[in-house]
Amino acid sequence: MTLLSTHRDLQRESVPEMPNRLGLDGIEFIEYATSRPQALGQVLENMGFRPVARHRSREVTLYRQGGMNLVVNASPDDARVSATIDGQPVISAVAFRVRDALQAHTRCMELGAWNVSSQAQAMELHIPAIHGPGASRFYFVDRWQEFSIYDIDFKPIPTVDPHPEATGGMSYFGVVQYIGAGRSADWLAYFEHMFDFSFVPDEQRFGILPKGKLMKSPCGNFLWQLIEPDPCMDADESPECLQRIGLGAVDVGAAVVALKARGVEFVESTKLHPEDRGALTLTALGSVSFELVHKDN
Amino acid sequence: MNLLNGFGMDTITMAGSLEAKLSAMKDAGFSQVMLMARDLVTHPGGVPAAVTAVKASGLRPTGFQVLRDFEGLSGHLHGYKVDIAKSMLEMCAATGSKVLLACSSTSRHATDDLDHIARDLKKLAMMALPLGIKVAYEGLSWGRTVNEFITSWDVVCRADCPNLGIGLDSFHIFAANTPLDAIEDLDPDKIFLVQLSDFMWHETPSFEDRMTTARTFRVFPGEGVHSEVLADLVLRLDRIGYRGDYSFEVFNDDYQQLPLATVAERARKSATWLHDNVLHRSAPMPAWALTLNK
Repeated sequence: MTLLSTHRDLQRESVPEMPNRLGLDGIEFIEYATSRPQALGQVLENMGFRPVARHRSREVTLYRQGGMNLVVNASPDDARVSATIDGQPVISAVAFRVRDALQAHTRCMELGAWNVSSQAQAMELHIPAIHGPGASRFYFVDRWQEFSIYDIDFKPIPTVDPHPEATGGMSYFGVVQYIGAGRSADWLAYFEHMFDFSFVPDEQRFGILPKGKLMKSPCGNFLWQLIEPDPCMDADESPECLQRIGLGAVDVGAAVVALKARGVEFVESTKLHPEDRGALTLTALGSVSFELVHKDN
Repeated sequence: MNLLNGFGMDTITMAGSLEAKLSAMKDAGFSQVMLMARDLVTHPGGVPAAVTAVKASGLRPTGFQVLRDFEGLSGHLHGYKVDIAKSMLEMCAATGSKVLLACSSTSRHATDDLDHIARDLKKLAMMALPLGIKVAYEGLSWGRTVNEFITSWDVVCRADCPNLGIGLDSFHIFAANTPLDAIEDLDPDKIFLVQLSDFMWHETPSFEDRMTTARTFRVFPGEGVHSEVLADLVLRLDRIGYRGDYSFEVFNDDYQQLPLATVAERARKSATWLHDNVLHRSAPMPAWALTLNK
């Protein structure tokens, strides 16, 4: 089939184009802020992440498994760390891989984003960022193909395998964001407008926690789930936040077995328990849980 | 339940300190207040002390005013206004206000291209969105391009953003002689604020007339010569399903030199008139009756 005929076919069936104006291509890293880095580190290690490098100038550690990078920010100078309550870690940033970080940042600023000023020290990378929900940030990273950004800002931890395999073949599947009551339409508009995310109809759900509204990144590499407070519960005025990370696994059952062997506990109730479609870890440190979701490949 | 629920006063109507205004409103029975940026920045204790006063009052902020001349600019003027808007939004969020009022531009440097105006307002709405703030866009009757709610509604529809809606102000509707039939075209869920006031004369043909009257001689609903049409406006809004707030935006030089309690009492009478005589809302059921119904 020639390109021309493909184009005609698309026209005939009104297949909508999926714009990806930032050239989004997955998640480069996710950052936690915490005043208890060692306690969080233990939770992450149970989940299969390994500490592989430390930041040159700040109390920041890079964890990794498979293609997933996870940064633990315990820098006492960072307001997001000092703002954590009762030592509960929070997801403080998601870094998107984009075609051109400066262009992505400029475009988002033109669309109404709030800039995050850089704290880069001499010879460190300036990673452009905008403010996200709550106190979180969205970073834009474009240098992930030619070389690793971590080679510049981080020093490898000696004797440690810098590329540990992913437990159960897990990879980033998505992020769950808790939002205020009646805010779904707002945030859907925000992600569609800023990042070209597209709405996933309510009939299509993944995993075992189907609540809320779901969006797909324009690259198709990850999902974003918005969850409003339960209307049956008392008024929930808790601030909006990035609540948990979704991890994709082809064989959820095998991943659960592997993680249980490491000491990870899962929510096991009559309504919610590990099954082939997904599983939810018990909340650790008051705020940290991971959702496993079945993915096809 | 309070008879005055759904009605509130704007701080601009009264003289005195922020605390004195909040106290007078509360004493008159109001449970909400429309704040202005000047309340915060002129507070002797600065913005944090003003925010504390608002929170301590227990009054719910109806909204926060006012961002002026934001839309339609380009280059460095646009950049400057984006900075101003961000500062306003930060103050708005600090007070717990969920609505920022943005008035249509009067600037001769602004374009009259409605798509450009819509694009800028969408940007403003995006800036407001992470803070949980809605933007109410209001057509000033002396606005350069947008001076009637018909046009402000058109722009809001073009922008198509859930947290961007319109703000209505009865003064501007009457001053511009906008036909009330157009209310039927509005989506009640996209009316984020309704400000009510009246004035004492029938005609305001020129922009200068409108500005002078608007800034010095508005009166509370029921006190002016447009009571009938004001009642018509409120009833039409009620009929299309508007259930949001009504705030009294009454700029009046006389009220600025009356005791605060006197002015608040006039506002209370006005709210009672709207509640009882215009909207004919039923009196709230007594607590014992609610218990019986369960």
